[in-house]
Amino acid sequence: MSTQPRSATLDRLTAMAGWLAAAAIVAAFGWLVFDIVRHGASEVSWTFLTAEPADAGRAGGIGTVLVSTLLILGVCLAIAVPLGLGTAVWLSEFARPCSWRVTAIRWSLDLLASVPSIVFGLFGMVVFCQMLRLGFSIAAGGLTLGCMILPLVVQTTYAGLQSVPNELRAGAAALAISRASTLRHLLLPAALHGVVVGVMLGLGRAAAETAALIFTSGYVTRMPESLLDSGRTASVHIYDLAMNVPRGEARAYATAAVLLLTLLLINVAATVLADRWLQRQTARSFR
Amino acid sequence: MAVLCAVAFVVLVSGCGTEDSGRAASRDEAVSEVSATSVETQSVRLSGKLTVTGSSTVAPLAAEIAKRFETEYPEVRIDVQTGGSSRGIADALSGVADLGMASRAMKTDEEGQGLIGHRLAVDGVSIIVNSENSIDGLTKQQVVQLFTGEITNWSDLGGSDAEVVVVNKAEGRATLEVFLNHFELKNEQIQADVVVGDNQHGIKTVAWNPLAIGYVSIGAAQSEADLGTPIRLVPVDGVEPTAANVASGRFEVTRPLLIVSKGEPVGLAAAFLEYAMSPTVHDLIKAQGFETVAQ
Repeated sequence: MSTQPRSATLDRLTAMAGWLAAAAIVAAFGWLVFDIVRHGASEVSWTFLTAEPADAGRAGGIGTVLVSTLLILGVCLAIAVPLGLGTAVWLSEFARPCSWRVTAIRWSLDLLASVPSIVFGLFGMVVFCQMLRLGFSIAAGGLTLGCMILPLVVQTTYAGLQSVPNELRAGAAALAISRASTLRHLLLPAALHGVVVGVMLGLGRAAAETAALIFTSGYVTRMPESLLDSGRTASVHIYDLAMNVPRGEARAYATAAVLLLTLLLINVAATVLADRWLQRQTARSFR
Repeated sequence: MAVLCAVAFVVLVSGCGTEDSGRAASRDEAVSEVSATSVETQSVRLSGKLTVTGSSTVAPLAAEIAKRFETEYPEVRIDVQTGGSSRGIADALSGVADLGMASRAMKTDEEGQGLIGHRLAVDGVSIIVNSENSIDGLTKQQVVQLFTGEITNWSDLGGSDAEVVVVNKAEGRATLEVFLNHFELKNEQIQADVVVGDNQHGIKTVAWNPLAIGYVSIGAAQSEADLGTPIRLVPVDGVEPTAANVASGRFEVTRPLLIVSKGEPVGLAAAFLEYAMSPTVHDLIKAQGFETVAQ
């Protein structure tokens, strides 16, 4: 008799707790954005977005910094996405599960994912800057970040592929569809959202990085002429303005606001593009 | 062939670009006569790439000087990289960088390895308290007592009855060494409540805590105080921590900002160093909150 109302109360409490947790997260994010925009918005202008930094970043803009940031992220994704997708596909679809190779790879990925970024920075400095003679360069910074986010991309893509029910694979095999076609037309579309989430998380982590980049892509604010030039990313710029440059705080906030907006735009664009691709893919499959 | 011509053209034009405008009139003849050697002799003086690494305190200043140098000599690229004084010294020694930057005096063993420190500017280190603190001056003895935990309450110095919060710098920071040297302290004697990294970190900590006492670069502290950040620079033994007192040498808690070279620099490094030490860049030094040195 009395179980009915008690379980209803419990349900309501659980829902309330969930709602509170979600509200807390939204509030924390909202507060962060509000704080950044409140302190930084007044400094953001067209000149700020296009000009080169002057007076150690207190004057001028962040145009060259934005170019370097996008180039470094581009190099990073160009390395991490194909390698990450390939590894995840091999691990999930081609390798024998629980074989020693799979265990070794998954174990090293788990370990790599928890390595502090500064270690990647020192690794990148030795391997890319010194051994491969790239020096302080956008290429070296991008490659270092690529190594850093690779485990993240592999793990999320792998999880996405694993979540595809085995019946799909069995069905495709029964219809004598090749594994490559199964992958392209069934598994990847089904795992696409996992891939996008992984790439976006990786991109976010890469865009937030400072420690690894100070040692690899560097501190130079000049407009990069090639991938072999040193370039300062927005995060390094924010760090320098906040920590090293007296009276740099307003510009640090402004740069943070622009970086936040850029990431938001990239995020939205990636989701939209993924959805489009998925729709096209589905339409083609049913033709 | 077309590619070769294009390359040759680029080489010639870039060679010419280093000429000053006064000679631009004779450029046409110059182009036809330019040979590999003359391009080379010019490039020794006015083109090429220089890497300068080190102290995060000196880096913003060096980057500004480098930018001005690049506008005067458009064929030159100077890449300023940061990472700390120790790295600047290590990189200058290993040759990873053409020049290093350090925000502390050179040690004898570093000089023994052939490194030369060139004084670019000086930076004073001042004691700071929150502006709510009523203390308006300390003696050297009192500073030592505060930082070693002999005085733990502001009321002992005539302030309010509240615990002192000692803000110390992290191991390896140049300002820490300057502070310890001047007050003849060892780091393990200091009873720190908070340990901070950069100057801005120290300033923010004291600005947020009305009971805190710390020490930071005068340039950084003064410009933050002028902006309305609630901190105050405290005179020690009656000497006001001002830029003028740093420049005159009356204020003694200072550190040199150095450009470090391995041996006497040559070529582009020498040209840049000479430029950085010249009065042409004094406005940049002041703009970054440091004091110039009489050469």
